[in-house]
Amino acid sequence: MEGLFFNVNGGYVEGIVRGYRNSLLTGQNYSNLTQCESIDDVKLQLGPSYGDFLATLPPNPSTSALAGKMTDKLVSEFRYLIAQSTGSTAKFLEYLTYGYMIDNIALLITGTLHERDTRELLERCHPLGWFETLPVLCVATNIEELYNSVLIETPLAPYFKGSLSHQDLDELNIEIVRNTLYKNYLEDFFNFVNTHPDFAGSPTQDVMSEILQFEADRRSINITLNSFGTELSKQERRKLYPEFGKLYPEGSLMLSRAEDVEGVALAVSAVADYKAFFDAVGLSQGGSGMGGMGGGPADGKSLEDLFYQKEMDMSKLVFTRQFTPAVVYGWMKLKEQEIRNVTWISECIAQNQKERIGNFISVF
Amino acid sequence: MSGAVGREPVFPTRQSLGLMKAKLKGAEVGHSLLKRKSEALTKRFREITRRIDEAKQKMGRVMQIAAFSLAEVSYAVGGDIGYQIQESAKQARFRVRAKNENVSGVYLPQFESYTEEGVNDFGLTGLGKGGQQIQRCRETYARAVETLVELASLQTAFLILDEVIKVVNRRVNAMRMAESTNVYEASMLSFLEQRIPSNVCNLPYRIEQDLANTYQDINSELDELDREEFYRLKKVSNKKQRDNAAADAEILAARERAAEKAAQNGTPPVAESKEPEPETTDVLGEQEDNDVIF
Repeated sequence: MEGLFFNVNGGYVEGIVRGYRNSLLTGQNYSNLTQCESIDDVKLQLGPSYGDFLATLPPNPSTSALAGKMTDKLVSEFRYLIAQSTGSTAKFLEYLTYGYMIDNIALLITGTLHERDTRELLERCHPLGWFETLPVLCVATNIEELYNSVLIETPLAPYFKGSLSHQDLDELNIEIVRNTLYKNYLEDFFNFVNTHPDFAGSPTQDVMSEILQFEADRRSINITLNSFGTELSKQERRKLYPEFGKLYPEGSLMLSRAEDVEGVALAVSAVADYKAFFDAVGLSQGGSGMGGMGGGPADGKSLEDLFYQKEMDMSKLVFTRQFTPAVVYGWMKLKEQEIRNVTWISECIAQNQKERIGNFISVF
Repeated sequence: MSGAVGREPVFPTRQSLGLMKAKLKGAEVGHSLLKRKSEALTKRFREITRRIDEAKQKMGRVMQIAAFSLAEVSYAVGGDIGYQIQESAKQARFRVRAKNENVSGVYLPQFESYTEEGVNDFGLTGLGKGGQQIQRCRETYARAVETLVELASLQTAFLILDEVIKVVNRRVNAMRMAESTNVYEASMLSFLEQRIPSNVCNLPYRIEQDLANTYQDINSELDELDREEFYRLKKVSNKKQRDNAAADAEILAARERAAEKAAQNGTPPVAESKEPEPETTDVLGEQEDNDVIF
């Protein structure tokens, strides 16, 4: 049924995205990139897909400048999509930007807490997380004002409500604020794709539920792993777990009680995928479970690498579905990974550390 | 190295001789001490140079690894976390303590790094993703900074030691012995003196040589005085002997004459005739002596 009317509103956007997908770098491109001797060579190799955006870069640019230009391209393409979309598709695309908004707001709150000139912070904000009232945040000089008059006006206001008061902003570590917001955002997004009349029962619900569940589980696992050895209590930690996903509720409960990597492995063993990840990187992980030990597996892949790999595979599979705006999500994730890959490769080239240059994730 | 070059402006007396002797002794001891100090410092200096070389090579490696781990972080986090970390750090975790080390009288500052365990300001950064990479990156950078601190301590010691060794060597050279009997050494020194501008190897600074000169001069002058004194005494005693002999002869002659007169005129008073005669002879004798001698 959904195929009948989807193209009336969303057909053009979907077509454009499928076109964008074809310009993503392939394994062949990556193997060419790894052969490069300098950043200029990398720039040349990226020419076909990024040409006009890289043209303004000076010779031998820094890797961050290169990544910045690549992000610019992603941003301009996404802006075009969001301008072309209407109705539920537009709403869906807006949801995609909320993640970046959370990062931006966390940045601004950090700046306000330390009484920095928030104007200079605006330049550091991610352009995708830009919203109309973002500059207004600069008006606020203290955290109470920020909360009462400014944050209420942002699209993220519902995520603040109920879980964070303005006292929390003062006392809590900004990371906890950020993760609380992200948790609320993921739950809201999940709710949106499952209950919105346009999406319920459509391929969008299928793929996005799966992706968001994975995202929620990944966050829960990461938060647990990264909280070992910090002052984050188990109670606080539990509040940061999104309340859906394959791990919810039994796995989440076990995660909240886990005290070391073995505990986490036990908690996720109910889900075959995650169990396979933990087996691949080795359960013991050096035994200590402290932050620094996370990534020392035998084949050079860390747990996060495996999570990224899985995410990319899922994003790639999205393109097998039709009549859904979820392809935009898949494309964005693939594009972001591509930027990370190119940054990694050019870092390796710039620092002359070729032995680990193959440590990127390519799915095409 | 002639003896007349320099000497202390003192009078050649026995007291100043003793003084000079003590000074010369002090200068010799000081010279050997300074020389030993210079050797100890040079040894230390070479060791530091070697360690700086090692530390610099190590720094190259460590900094490379550290920069790479930062690249790993940016890959895992997928964004810039620099600002957040700058803002959340309130207290220094990695601290440096300075202490002094005494190397043969030279105080070398030594920097010692230690980590304040209680301070962990960005423990929650990257909670959502990349936390492990951030922790690892932090540890790598802590090691890198450790190497830098070690290098800084070595470099400071290097600079200070360099300066001190220069000063000590200059002093040692200034004090070098005048009686450097070694012909080769002496010729080399004079050669050096020609080459080195006079303000570097200044003559007034040759303390030991001056002292030795002074000591020798005083000694020879005192000897001279001694000899003069001895000669004078000899002359005086000679003259006294002669005078005595002359006086004895006069007395004898007078007695004989008196005896003759007594024999001719009976017995005149001996004492009367004897008394005026020695006075006249003495006066005469002295005048005659003066005339004869001088």
